[in-house]
Amino acid sequence: MNAHTDTAAHADTGHKEPALLEVRNFQVELITDAGIIRAVDSVSFSIHRGETVTIIGESGSGKSTTAMGILRLLPEDLAVISGTVLIDGVDVIAEPKAINKVRGKTLALIPQDPMTALSPVHSIGSQLSEAIRIAGAASKDKDAVRARAIRLLEQVHIPTPDKQLKKYPHQLSGGMLQRVLIAIALASEPQLLVADEPTSALDVTVQGGILDLLLELQEQRGIGILMITHDLGVARLISDRIHVMKDGSFVESGEVQQIVEHPATEYTRALLAAVPVLGPWDETPALPASETPASEDPAANGGDGAAVGNPAVDTTTTAGAGLTRTGVRHE
Amino acid sequence: MTNYILKRLGQGLLTVFLTVSTVFILVRLAPGDPAVSYAGPLATTEQLAKVREQFGLDRPVLEQYWIFLQQLFTGNLGTSYSFQAPAMQVVAERMPYTLTLATASILLTAVVAIPLGVWMSRRPDTNRELGVNVLTIAGQSMPDFWTGIMLLTGFAVLIPLFPASGFATWGGLVLPTITIAILQIALISRMVRREMTANFAAPFLTVARSRGVRNSVLTWRYAMGNSAIPVFTALGTRFAAMLNGVVVVEVVFAWPGVGSLIVRALETRDYPLIQATVLLTALLAVAVQLVIDLAYPLLDPRVRLGKAATA
Repeated sequence: MNAHTDTAAHADTGHKEPALLEVRNFQVELITDAGIIRAVDSVSFSIHRGETVTIIGESGSGKSTTAMGILRLLPEDLAVISGTVLIDGVDVIAEPKAINKVRGKTLALIPQDPMTALSPVHSIGSQLSEAIRIAGAASKDKDAVRARAIRLLEQVHIPTPDKQLKKYPHQLSGGMLQRVLIAIALASEPQLLVADEPTSALDVTVQGGILDLLLELQEQRGIGILMITHDLGVARLISDRIHVMKDGSFVESGEVQQIVEHPATEYTRALLAAVPVLGPWDETPALPASETPASEDPAANGGDGAAVGNPAVDTTTTAGAGLTRTGVRHE
Repeated sequence: MTNYILKRLGQGLLTVFLTVSTVFILVRLAPGDPAVSYAGPLATTEQLAKVREQFGLDRPVLEQYWIFLQQLFTGNLGTSYSFQAPAMQVVAERMPYTLTLATASILLTAVVAIPLGVWMSRRPDTNRELGVNVLTIAGQSMPDFWTGIMLLTGFAVLIPLFPASGFATWGGLVLPTITIAILQIALISRMVRREMTANFAAPFLTVARSRGVRNSVLTWRYAMGNSAIPVFTALGTRFAAMLNGVVVVEVVFAWPGVGSLIVRALETRDYPLIQATVLLTALLAVAVQLVIDLAYPLLDPRVRLGKAATA
């Protein structure tokens, strides 16, 4: 469509140094029983230091496949990737082995579902220490690794970090686990974070905390972030640029403000419309007191550690589900 | 923890008690007369009556059972008819042979099946993997008496590498161990492959890969670490089953273990010997099972002994 091309966006922001991530004509073909499916079709974008670029789209649009393909984490016998992906100047498509040099060093992944992203039979401390050793920066000395592990957990605001090291994933809540995973990702002081729907598996009251943490880390360290989400609220909060993805390609790209205020495609308008409005409640038909949605009172859900979700707030993350109310979220 | 162990021990003893009681009744319901086996086919009616009186078989079954219970709690299960020695002692003398064979077999199984299963899981859909896959199906399908006779013919008769029978030298252990292990390797390696394949597809493995964890570490620490419980359980359960005597293999190789003993005891209707064998092997099986269960929390921190699993 008429959206910004990446070169345009690039020129706008006036970057001089080379991009942390430069993706050109990236393509993923999945081999399925039904034949070959082009899940990602000629996608191009770039991320510089300190920037957050978001790929937004509904389920099945190819946004997670894009992220996983860039990291070469798709099963090689099922996914054929092509194009150019330069991570810190290294082409990981042309040289498959090159990805091993950036994984756990310049590049880190924050996964979608923290509850299944850590090995259940290994302690938090052992998995964090392993990441520290792979990063290679700290001394291999046991006490030094432990000290670094504690410092990393402090940086992601986990209380009593020395006690958490001994714990196993099933003993922590989803929000705490996502903080642990962010700490693991930070172990190598990465320059580029790929966050694959980092909040979608979390309770809404916890989501904000995780996003705040990512923004804080970005501010401190100038990390580039590739954010994958279906939640326009998340995208607006965190992004510099947004690429709207549908059926494997970008239908619209540009600055956050521009995409939100002047959506160029029907698809983007539908995504915008899917965000429930936190406006005055008189817009909606009157509800009996007992059915008042709990999202009015997020404090009731407790803090980060509260593991209990509230079914009434689930709709806030449902994109494209046919919610008809329009309007932009008030800020 | 102590409570759990005590509870499990109680359950185990009850299991053993019910098992020996059932066997006590079943052997007496089965056709055949110990007196005939003992006195021989030419014995007169008077001689048979005398033998029955000597063994206490002329008394009502309930009274025999009462005597058996008294013996059970003193740990003396009577005198074996055919060995003319305390039945417990006869079984206890055979036990080390069966333990040796079972231990050797389970070690060989573990040492071969785990790397084999891991290897298969790492190379799905290659020709070599397919070849090994077919071999494991063959291994699963071959009856052990046939495998035993083939190995005997091949490596004791045609090429006399190993002794054909008995346990006079350590070489005698080789063929029976291999015979038992072939089936177990086939079963366990396929199980290892299945578990590993599932864990290779797990999100935590992809995430670990994303942070630069090496392939060998992904395989052994992550995938195998998470496959340990089912594989360990299968190995342990099979070991416990082997302690009941690897009957057919022991007979084929004339192995002086509990398995060939129970065959002889059944043939001669040697009631005390049958009961002693069942008692000892049941006790061992219960003990092994308890050890397996106690090891679970070491393999998986989510396991809490004696409590229902929480999410």
